[in-house]
Amino acid sequence: MTNKSTRAVSAASLALALGAAVAISTATVTTAHAADNEKCFGISMKGKNDCAAGAGTTCAGTAKTDLQGNAWKYVPAGTCEKTPSASSPTGFGQLQEYKEKA
Amino acid sequence: MSNQTTFSQALLNPEQPCPDGLRSWNGSDPAQRFAIYRNNVTRSLIDALADTFPVVAELVGADFFNLLAHSYIQHSPPTSRLLVEYGETFADFIQGFAPAASVPYLADVARLEFARVRAYHSADITALTPVAIAEVIGQPEHLANMTFALHPSVQIVHSRFAHVSIWAAHQGTHDLAAVDSQCAETALILRNRLIVEVMAIQPADAAFISALQQGQPFAKAAELAMDVVAEFNLSPPLAHLINTAVIVGYAYPGASLGNNHV
Repeated sequence: MTNKSTRAVSAASLALALGAAVAISTATVTTAHAADNEKCFGISMKGKNDCAAGAGTTCAGTAKTDLQGNAWKYVPAGTCEKTPSASSPTGFGQLQEYKEKA
Repeated sequence: MSNQTTFSQALLNPEQPCPDGLRSWNGSDPAQRFAIYRNNVTRSLIDALADTFPVVAELVGADFFNLLAHSYIQHSPPTSRLLVEYGETFADFIQGFAPAASVPYLADVARLEFARVRAYHSADITALTPVAIAEVIGQPEHLANMTFALHPSVQIVHSRFAHVSIWAAHQGTHDLAAVDSQCAETALILRNRLIVEVMAIQPADAAFISALQQGQPFAKAAELAMDVVAEFNLSPPLAHLINTAVIVGYAYPGASLGNNHV
């Protein structure tokens, strides 16, 4: 994008464009309904403000989620493998060469 | 190092020993109790990231996501007590995360997902009424220099990849196998009243909306879009902004309407 524009837009064309925009919008119908809704926090984004007393909490004291160490050997699994990715000619092989951080 | 620093560093780094001076009420091993606490903290943060970035998590699978998130947590622990704000730099982290290099669009999908969360939690600002917009049209002499205030939920995320289509495929709206990930896309994210919406838009539309958002005058914004595509028609993007209730104010030299000219 350049900063210097060679095109001048007239006020008349702006008014026409805005008029057309209003005409093809449905704002008059829907705006009135906005006030009927109310925002209810805490039902849509589950668990966001909770301490982790629910899902995800492991109080057993086991090493179940012991994520450190040799875990770098994992490779992406799942749907990404179905997505064409021309920039990945070697597949996922490089993942295994990644050096573990200290 | 203060006790608190020692404690919080040990909390995030499993290589660190249990901080000195911890005692348990019943004589059990403090190191074991601390490990449980560390485990819970880590797990809760990984889960928070998975809630904020569900498509990223689906794209790489749970195991890889756990590792990615765990690395991020060690690299960038939360700075806010609000978990919804955690992950602002996750996309940048992904971009520099070597094991994720084989999924080059992953960082942009993360940007899109965080923009959705941000849009969801952005402030409520009432859109201009149709009457107010009609008044705008009734002042053609001010239109060229008029600036519009857009709702704070409005965000544009560019990508060299098809991040919108990839994201949409994970909402079940189209087939992931049919997506060409190498096709560049631009996402418009906004909250239409209570619903966060994501759509792919054209580069000229993005230039126009970005210019308005940055406070460029109406005529200048239109010109910038025409620099991208000469035959740019500004009515469709304007109509979209009106429809989605994100034009919240306007101003021209000497006057303004809308109480939140952001």
